[in-house]
Amino acid sequence: MAFDAGGDPSDEALMVLYANGDRHAALALTQRITPRVLAYASRLLSGDRAEAEDVAQETMLRLWKVAPQWRQGETRVTTWSYRVATNLCIDRQRARVRKRLVALDDAPETADAAPRAEDRLQESGRMAALEAALAELPDRQRQAVVLRHLEGMTNPEIAAIMEIGVEAVESLTARGKRALSALLAGRKAALGYEDDGHAG
Amino acid sequence: MQDDDLDRLLAQAARTAPQPSDALMQRVLADALALQPQAAALRPPAPPARAGLLTRLIGAIGGGPALAGLGTAAVFGIVLGYLSPSTLDLFTGASTDVADFFPDADFLTTEG
Repeated sequence: MAFDAGGDPSDEALMVLYANGDRHAALALTQRITPRVLAYASRLLSGDRAEAEDVAQETMLRLWKVAPQWRQGETRVTTWSYRVATNLCIDRQRARVRKRLVALDDAPETADAAPRAEDRLQESGRMAALEAALAELPDRQRQAVVLRHLEGMTNPEIAAIMEIGVEAVESLTARGKRALSALLAGRKAALGYEDDGHAG
Repeated sequence: MQDDDLDRLLAQAARTAPQPSDALMQRVLADALALQPQAAALRPPAPPARAGLLTRLIGAIGGGPALAGLGTAAVFGIVLGYLSPSTLDLFTGASTDVADFFPDADFLTTEG
């Protein structure tokens, strides 16, 4: 594509081009940002693909709407997108909890809440086990661990997304990893790891 | 679970990120194009309106400032013309004597 011939413009430059009517910029931003937001939302929403796609589309919709007022240098497009996606995921998680509570009230005899992490660990592979364990983490720890270890963001970037200090990010990721280890402990066989943990 | 095991698991998960479907990408792109501002700044600028005759005349003598200077000079000349020489003395600080340039020409206007 000729658009790429002169080197890759930054996301922020693409926002300006998009706001000026450049259709190639619309395509480039779609291709760059959507997969990252989808992956992030999917991980925060415990693999709920349909909801993750809704979150990704809604995040991108808000990005298009804010483009004409976008001010370069204030924040990065990825940081802004992850922040919006985080808030949308939190909203959906809360709605999911409320819905579950209503369902429990309405049909207590048949209530089958989401399977606990342990049950899911037994019937799933490694990724499903990790996903289940992540779902057990408190929201902020899960966000920090996902951003740091799955999305590959730096601590300052995570701090900007979560609107907290870098030290708080370090604390959240450390506690999140400890909690993950505890949740996954004793499941080495299910995960395919040897007991001594140093086979590789 | 050992830290190394968890790190390996996280690294593996990072490599296996869920990919967006074509349908999602199409929906997002459709939203982008539907909401994209029109490129007003990219339209060619409208040609300037043709200048009228008066505008061109004013331009020929140097534009507005020149016209203002010309007008001021004209008004000042008219005022000077109406003022009597004695009044002008107030400005010049000198007395003006009435000069008789043709003292011997009176006979031309007298009869007999």
